[in-house]
Amino acid sequence: MRIYSPPSEETLRARRLLADWAGDDLLTQEQYQRLQQDTVSDIRTTNIFLRLVLFLFTLIGVAAAAALFVPGFRSPDSEQTVGIFFLVVAAACYAGAEVAASQARLYRYGIEEALAVCAVGFLYVGMQTALFSGRPYSLQPNEFQFLVPAAGAVFSLWIWRRFGLWYAFPVAMIFAVFLPGCWTASRSAQHGIVALLYATGLIAVIAFRSRHHFDYVEDDFSLVEALLWLGIYLALNLQISPLNLRAQWLSGGTRAASEFPRWFYWTTWVLIWVLPPVVLARGVRQKDRFVIAVGAIVAVLTFVSNKPYLGWPRHTWDPMLLGILLTGVALFIRRWLARGAGGVRGGFTATRLSGKDKQWLNASSAVLGLITPHSITPSPQTTSADVRFGGGASGGGGAGGDF
Amino acid sequence: MTILARLEQWREQGAISPEQHSHLASLCRREPFSLFLELNFLLYAGVLAFVAGLGWTVVTWSQQLGDVLVLAVLSAILAACFWYCFSRAPVWSLAETPAPGAVFDYVLYLGSLVWCIELAYLENRFHLLSGQWDFYLLATAVFFFFLAYRFDNRFVLSLALSSLAGWFGLTISRWPSHQDAAYRQYALLYCLLVGLGGMLLKQRGVKVHFFGTYLNIVANVLFWALLSGVFEQQGYGTWFLALLLACGASLAWGLKRRQFAFVAYAAVYGYVGVSWIIIRGVTNDTALFAYFVVTAVGMLAVLVRIARHVGRPA
Repeated sequence: MRIYSPPSEETLRARRLLADWAGDDLLTQEQYQRLQQDTVSDIRTTNIFLRLVLFLFTLIGVAAAAALFVPGFRSPDSEQTVGIFFLVVAAACYAGAEVAASQARLYRYGIEEALAVCAVGFLYVGMQTALFSGRPYSLQPNEFQFLVPAAGAVFSLWIWRRFGLWYAFPVAMIFAVFLPGCWTASRSAQHGIVALLYATGLIAVIAFRSRHHFDYVEDDFSLVEALLWLGIYLALNLQISPLNLRAQWLSGGTRAASEFPRWFYWTTWVLIWVLPPVVLARGVRQKDRFVIAVGAIVAVLTFVSNKPYLGWPRHTWDPMLLGILLTGVALFIRRWLARGAGGVRGGFTATRLSGKDKQWLNASSAVLGLITPHSITPSPQTTSADVRFGGGASGGGGAGGDF
Repeated sequence: MTILARLEQWREQGAISPEQHSHLASLCRREPFSLFLELNFLLYAGVLAFVAGLGWTVVTWSQQLGDVLVLAVLSAILAACFWYCFSRAPVWSLAETPAPGAVFDYVLYLGSLVWCIELAYLENRFHLLSGQWDFYLLATAVFFFFLAYRFDNRFVLSLALSSLAGWFGLTISRWPSHQDAAYRQYALLYCLLVGLGGMLLKQRGVKVHFFGTYLNIVANVLFWALLSGVFEQQGYGTWFLALLLACGASLAWGLKRRQFAFVAYAAVYGYVGVSWIIIRGVTNDTALFAYFVVTAVGMLAVLVRIARHVGRPA
């Protein structure tokens, strides 16, 4: 199924690890150079910046090429030919991605990724245009409308497995969100179906993962498992669910218990409290960075959404309490781990083991420092004498607030 | 062959010592597993949530709480943070200095953000500078630069740079007829000031590791400023020339230093600028799309060549 052979991907992984270890002085330069000879791969890779730029220009080229030929297929009485043209473009993009990966041996190179992404996009637009264009809009679910998101989800999953592009998986999850809307108008059933779809995927992923330890496949499935846990949580949390976002934005408020059957509403409330410890326990047991991170995120989301769930008013000091809780937990864990023999307890440590962690932290510090003032200065700055603060909107160090 | 099998093979071949094998294999097996990053992000989120709540509370309840209580609480937090930092900071050094403790950086960050809230409150309630509060931004920028260099902190350096940018922007917004041209000139002045300052400090060997932050910010502000000039209806020739020069310099720097972010800046900003000049008068859709097809393929060809020769993962 995978376009790259397992030895090629393992070799690339070994090469990356060697570079990390040499950077951390765990290997001498002589050792590094010698071991590099053992990890020569026929696959072509590049660095993240060139990868992004190559991705961007491939997208521009494909989109412009499609737009160039669309008028030739447009007829005044039917949009279906345009839809069929988009499907042909999708097929061409997919073929291009296959050739780029199998013949040119491009791996995370931007070009083959953009072609695969375009294939998914054009498939979706093409199917929608070819099958459903020109039909009057109706709030009633169309029983065949599900074909479009279903095809998008299946094709995205294929791209994820075939090319190993992690971001194709969340795209498939997003397509899956649109499926239940085609089958039922019941909001609670929609939430339940999405959660069930994700849970089915999660069971399959956990079963598959259990056969792989410390290899590249485990790395891939780690992220996917984390995304599925997050998806299940978001589908069940009625206060922040993506299924409700549009309605929430329109109404400008939170979801009331009356919008759902009482038993369903309170079951989801129980589940959003049950899920975080389950996810965290799973992450800790597997020593899985992504699953632990999702466990922490859903725990915070549960704290944030608990009051709206219960219909209690929010207080201005709630974020302060949350901040104190997060800081307290971090300090407690750090100190608890540090008191273990050699700073290790139960196979966990708070100390930095890799130079990459420091690089991540340095880069994050610089970026987060730049965006933080904007986060805490919500309102625009005015220049009247009766000044109201908010100058951080112009990039200031947050001499803001809005008093 | 998994990495563990490879390590075993390398040990048998004598390429690595048994001690190295043991250490590297344990790292691969995540024994122990480091929670360093997770705990740091938890601390960051905690500080941010606390400051957001503090600001929100002060905004909402300042009338009921009264100036004395608000200022006393803010000052107490501020004093505690800076007392902690100054009392625990190691002796200042030109070189990179590790933080003395795991929470040190976050206490400094908390202090810096509380400083912003307190200044804003003071000005709003007492109008100490009679509404000329852009000077607070300048003072804050200077103070944050001092803190960033004293405690070797990138968080606060970024706050200082954004405060300085805010001061430039805010000063212009007070002018009666501020226009894009004025903003552009001040953006360039900001680039010049920050770029020269960063370079000077680097040459003097003062916190050389900060130079990357300066350079990235200056490059982005400079390219945006030049692009805004290229987008002008008239008199864009000089800006276009300057954009080409900046792209050339960025490309050369990126290739020479193997800092590929600068290659990416040159490619993207340069493409946008050149494309705008070429297609600004074009009204034919076919010509427009054909242009994008041809140029995108051309850019891909050039970038693939660069990637093949120098763009391997670092």
